Amino acid sequence: MSEETKIDKQSDVDRGLVAMFLRMSPEERLRANDNAFRTILELRDAYRRQKANERKPK
Amino acid sequence: MPTGGRKPTSASLSEILDGLLEAGVDFILVGGLAAVIQGAPVTTMDVDVVHSRSPENIARLISFLKSVDAVHRRLDDRLIEPTERDLSGKGHVLLTTRIGPLDILAVIEGGKSYKELLDHTVEIDFRGHSLRVLDLKTLIELKKTSTDPKDKQRLPVLKETLRQLEEKYGHGEDKEDSNNE
Repeated sequence: MSEETKIDKQSDVDRGLVAMFLRMSPEERLRANDNAFRTILELRDAYRRQKANERKPK
Repeated sequence: MPTGGRKPTSASLSEILDGLLEAGVDFILVGGLAAVIQGAPVTTMDVDVVHSRSPENIARLISFLKSVDAVHRRLDDRLIEPTERDLSGKGHVLLTTRIGPLDILAVIEGGKSYKELLDHTVEIDFRGHSLRVLDLKTLIELKKTSTDPKDKQRLPVLKETLRQLEEKYGHGEDKEDSNNE
């Protein structure tokens, strides 16, 4: 076993998640990232709206 | 994230890649999205590319950037469009476009430019175009020297992805994996 492999095993990498991504095509991986990207933007917007509403005088 | 006063209206990092390829821009995809394409389960919020700085390529790049309303990413709300001069230098040009953030890099870690990186790329068939992506092995080597905490955090995931690819296809054959999928 190489030194690098040992280091990988000691880290907290989710090896099953890596295997799952490797089963996808490059296009599917890009789509998954795009979906995550859009979801993060939506959640950030929702958070900002919530914060803005909290600051509004009642 | 600084936006230069503009927010993406229909965010899609794939569309940025598609647009660059449709416009005939010579570039190499580097950074997080290069890792995503090669199978690393990470999420990235921008597209990083190293471009060829030939005058013809910069003209094509400027034309694409205009079509997606690109402006420099800034902390204030000023809208400053990128110029040919910006893209001819050795610096990083960090932009906001209407389809997402795009970082255009003249050189990356170790001062490596488009020409120097070409031998370390894999070509992926993407929507009818050939997309050049910095190979995972080189990406890992470059990230090892990075001082960016995000890079340090991702490094074990990239190494594990490469380990599984090599286990599946043997050393140095991850290029084949990317082409065949």
